[in-house]
Amino acid sequence: MKMYEYQVKELFKDAGIAIPKSTLIHRVDQASEAFEAIGFPCVIKSQVLSGGRGKAGLIQFVRDEQKGIQEVTRLFSLPQKISSLLIEEAVDIAHEVYASFTIDPVSGSALSIVSATGGVDIETLAVEQPHKILQTKIDMNLGLQSYQASHIAYECGFDVEIAKKFTQLLHKLYGLFVKYDCELLEINPLFITKSNELVAGDGKCSIDDNSMFRHEDISVPLADIENEAERLAMEEGIPFIQFDGDISLMCAGAGLTTTVYDLIHYEGGTVANYLEFGGPHYKKAMKAMEICLKVPSKVILIVTFGTIARADVMAQGIVDAISKLQPDRPIVTCIRGTNEIEAVETLRKAGLNPLFDTEEAVRLAVALAKEAKI
Amino acid sequence: MSIFIDRNTRVLVQGITGSEGSFWTKHMIDLGTQVVCGVTPSKEGQSIHDIPVYHSVERALRYHQVDASMIFVPPKLTKDAVFEALSNGIKKIVTMADGIPLFDMVAIRHAALEHNALVIGGNTSGVISPEEAMMGSFPHWIERVYKRGNIGVMTRSGSLTNEVTAMIVKQGYGVSTLIGVGGDPVPATRFAEMLPYYQQDEQTEAVVIIGELGGTMEEEVAEAMEKGIFTKPLVAFLGGRTAPKGQKMGHAGAIITGGKGAVEDKIEALTKAGALVADRPSKVGYLLEQLNVSKNR
Repeated sequence: MKMYEYQVKELFKDAGIAIPKSTLIHRVDQASEAFEAIGFPCVIKSQVLSGGRGKAGLIQFVRDEQKGIQEVTRLFSLPQKISSLLIEEAVDIAHEVYASFTIDPVSGSALSIVSATGGVDIETLAVEQPHKILQTKIDMNLGLQSYQASHIAYECGFDVEIAKKFTQLLHKLYGLFVKYDCELLEINPLFITKSNELVAGDGKCSIDDNSMFRHEDISVPLADIENEAERLAMEEGIPFIQFDGDISLMCAGAGLTTTVYDLIHYEGGTVANYLEFGGPHYKKAMKAMEICLKVPSKVILIVTFGTIARADVMAQGIVDAISKLQPDRPIVTCIRGTNEIEAVETLRKAGLNPLFDTEEAVRLAVALAKEAKI
Repeated sequence: MSIFIDRNTRVLVQGITGSEGSFWTKHMIDLGTQVVCGVTPSKEGQSIHDIPVYHSVERALRYHQVDASMIFVPPKLTKDAVFEALSNGIKKIVTMADGIPLFDMVAIRHAALEHNALVIGGNTSGVISPEEAMMGSFPHWIERVYKRGNIGVMTRSGSLTNEVTAMIVKQGYGVSTLIGVGGDPVPATRFAEMLPYYQQDEQTEAVVIIGELGGTMEEEVAEAMEKGIFTKPLVAFLGGRTAPKGQKMGHAGAIITGGKGAVEDKIEALTKAGALVADRPSKVGYLLEQLNVSKNR
């Protein structure tokens, strides 16, 4: 689960990592008070989960209240609903650093990634200037050792005062990484101010979904999720992503769904949404179809090839969903796996024409989507 | 001969009394797998499909000789179960659960390396040598998928494996041993670590890997080929070529991070190492033909 910047910064603050002074607002009429508290110049930061906020114009530096109110009004009225803005003091920056912890799957350890060149996209830096990135494996049975943190700090070229502060910061960051079962915990940029203080300018945190049961106190407010289909999927725990194409995917199995997504593109089609109701969700055909019907699409494509996710159970679920929800668009089915013969029979009895070959099903869905367009 | 498991492999089942454990143990036995004992704490004295159940692995090992352990316990209990098997000297372990906490998988991977053991999983269907034996949950009775042959298969998926394997069989081939390393970001055993076994195996004439975006397992396979560790024909099918970058779509392990994991890079590495890469499941069999892989059983 990805967290909003303001949530990550709360974690930082609790762990003793300095953050800029800030106020979170949800409405335009809260802006004046926030500007008064923070002062100018300041930064208005849209709280969204997607990356590339700066490039998208979702982060604005403002020098006075008039411009500030203007930007707040603009951001709150964007078609992409933004439910909160962080009004943050502008920090007197001398230097920007990158620091994060993630997992190294090969050695089975944690991995610290640090670069004295911060504020940039680390993935770009990894490709263009890999020598500027310091990677250190940490045995999770032992934890981050002081010698490791201190070595990293001096390798960055920091002087003694900053190196000591940076070493402490790395320990705090690692502590949070472990405490919250993070896939990734990142400070980028980490500001080194002109008075030699370390301040977390931005934070990213992604908590392992399989470990969420240990962190029931943390959640992304579902009310903040504007898209109804997305919110329904999140409530059910069904993996779902909305795009703006024509074909709604209602498939089972993560790898198979991704492959169907590829095949649609090869055949010249476009995807309206990714939805995967396999594994623990295979009895949720009704919910899955309800979600797909909330997405503007031309056709729903159902492809499965399950083992534990039984074909006969899914077929019955689909037939029930069709009879209850009365979908307004064509449905293509390709249901295989355990008890597939019974599944085909169930679908045929309900008047559907079940296919047995994934690529044929994809071609039919693409053709139907094109017909619907005309 | 197959790899990892055959009719002679004596299997202990951890979590044998649970509904999944009991159901799939029956299918394992039906296929010919030698299941010798089971473990569920508090259930010693019971028997499941005539297999005796013990409170702990150590207690089971007092009465039985065991080569491998099949773990059917829930995700939160998986780490403990794997550690129990490892500390009792079991060197082949398959663990299926989907939903194992990330740091538990890190600990399992770390422990597997330290014990020099092969732990397969989690989030996998397991390992099957068709018409021989299996540890896991495969619909082995679907003949158009699980037919014996000379193709080794390694995969990160479940349903997609059924899809691709059906296409291989449709083309006239069969499978020697299929290993699902699992779809988690930290699989306990990686593709490249299984290649030496396929290299040695006489039954295996070629290997198919079913990979996807994210991680570096496919690149490691290419490296093993470059180094001559694996010299048999290899065909790869990779999902997620058109997946949106940076977005978590599909398995948890399928995300491009740190400038690594894009399908284009994997294709380039594998092609350079001499592998053929299929862009869709139906092409895999044709590429095996192109590499002159025979259709002997």
